[in-house]
Amino acid sequence: MLLYQMKNTNEVKAEIKKYILEASLSDVKDVDDDALIFENGLLDSMGLLFLIEFLGEAFQVEVSDDELNPKNFESINNIVSFVSNKLSVKV
Amino acid sequence: MKPEQRKPFSKEIIHIDDIEQVCNRIVAKLKTDVTKNLQRRGAIVGISGGIDSSVCLALSAKAFGAKNVLGIMLPEQDSSDDSRQLAEQLAATYGVSTLVEDITNALDGFGCYERRDEAILRVIPDFDKKVDKAKIEIKQNIAENIPAIFSITVIKPNGDVVSKLLPAKEYLQIVASTNFKQRSRMSMLYYHAERMHYAVIGTPNKHEVEQGFFVKYGDGGADVMPIGHLYKTQVYQLAKHLGVPQEIIDRTPTTDTYTAEQSQEDFFYQMPFESMDLIWYGWEHKYPAEEVGKVMGKTTKEIENIYKSFERKRKTTEYLRMKPIF
Repeated sequence: MLLYQMKNTNEVKAEIKKYILEASLSDVKDVDDDALIFENGLLDSMGLLFLIEFLGEAFQVEVSDDELNPKNFESINNIVSFVSNKLSVKV
Repeated sequence: MKPEQRKPFSKEIIHIDDIEQVCNRIVAKLKTDVTKNLQRRGAIVGISGGIDSSVCLALSAKAFGAKNVLGIMLPEQDSSDDSRQLAEQLAATYGVSTLVEDITNALDGFGCYERRDEAILRVIPDFDKKVDKAKIEIKQNIAENIPAIFSITVIKPNGDVVSKLLPAKEYLQIVASTNFKQRSRMSMLYYHAERMHYAVIGTPNKHEVEQGFFVKYGDGGADVMPIGHLYKTQVYQLAKHLGVPQEIIDRTPTTDTYTAEQSQEDFFYQMPFESMDLIWYGWEHKYPAEEVGKVMGKTTKEIENIYKSFERKRKTTEYLRMKPIF
């Protein structure tokens, strides 16, 4: 079993949140886990592209055209659910 | 303008009623800009057989007289064959002289094709650059509230299509490589402008300027942009009024940048010009999404999401419109 498959949801969330905070130069107190990250200007289209790259590197999660929707990406919580679901399928 | 003072939103809201007057105003301004402000004696227009460059050539011919305008065709190995024929037909319509400058060798020298194909191959390993056609496109629905991300689509000779979401590194490399095309064209246009003491006429329309659908120091590099304030449907109105050949008016606007056929709608705008013009107007003039939705046959939520997409596009492309900071 690979290391990324052993991560629980809290660990996944911590890593994703850390990445988004760093990428958007934001402070942890300013970003709610349900905040709409594109609507609030935390990430733009290149930011989303780099986030997808990060998900591939950190969790070996690949994103396809049809998975690129608000349900999977509009907030930290949505991204965490998306990644966790993908990882549970892999395991 | 206060909301109570503006016209109710309608499909005719951006229609130009007095086209002759608008045309004359643009021509007069172009003349003043080039001869008085820029102190140049004529115009260089890069012509592609597309609607925007055609209108710019026609306006230039009106402003400076055909003999003071030079139309330059700048094909390269991926350009479509009918672009040149249409550009020649256009120049003949206005009696403007033309030159053909094939920029394929220059692009080869920059490694444009090699760098682009290398990035495509990393995403689609069985891409055969000799026979396959490729393009990048946005597949998402603009009415869904998420930023646009590009996919690479490869079309095999037998018609099979392979499409994958482009990773950041490959997307950036493909765009950076193909941008050599617009920048090489700009260099060539300025060569001719300088040798003739002419100005380079930029051809972007309002959407290209404001949504950032141009290459910085490429097609965005020009001395004057006479149609930079016009919506695409208004450019078509001008084209008809100025007598641009019907084949050019009827042609679907393409990027003419990638080997596979690609409309500007697929590549960037994600919706037809007729709708985009109106919704952009609604957004720019702060019409409520509900009012615009009723006229456009869309839900309030869809219009709100399209407004957000416009806002994102304008914001993320601000860098392209910025002058050097010092």
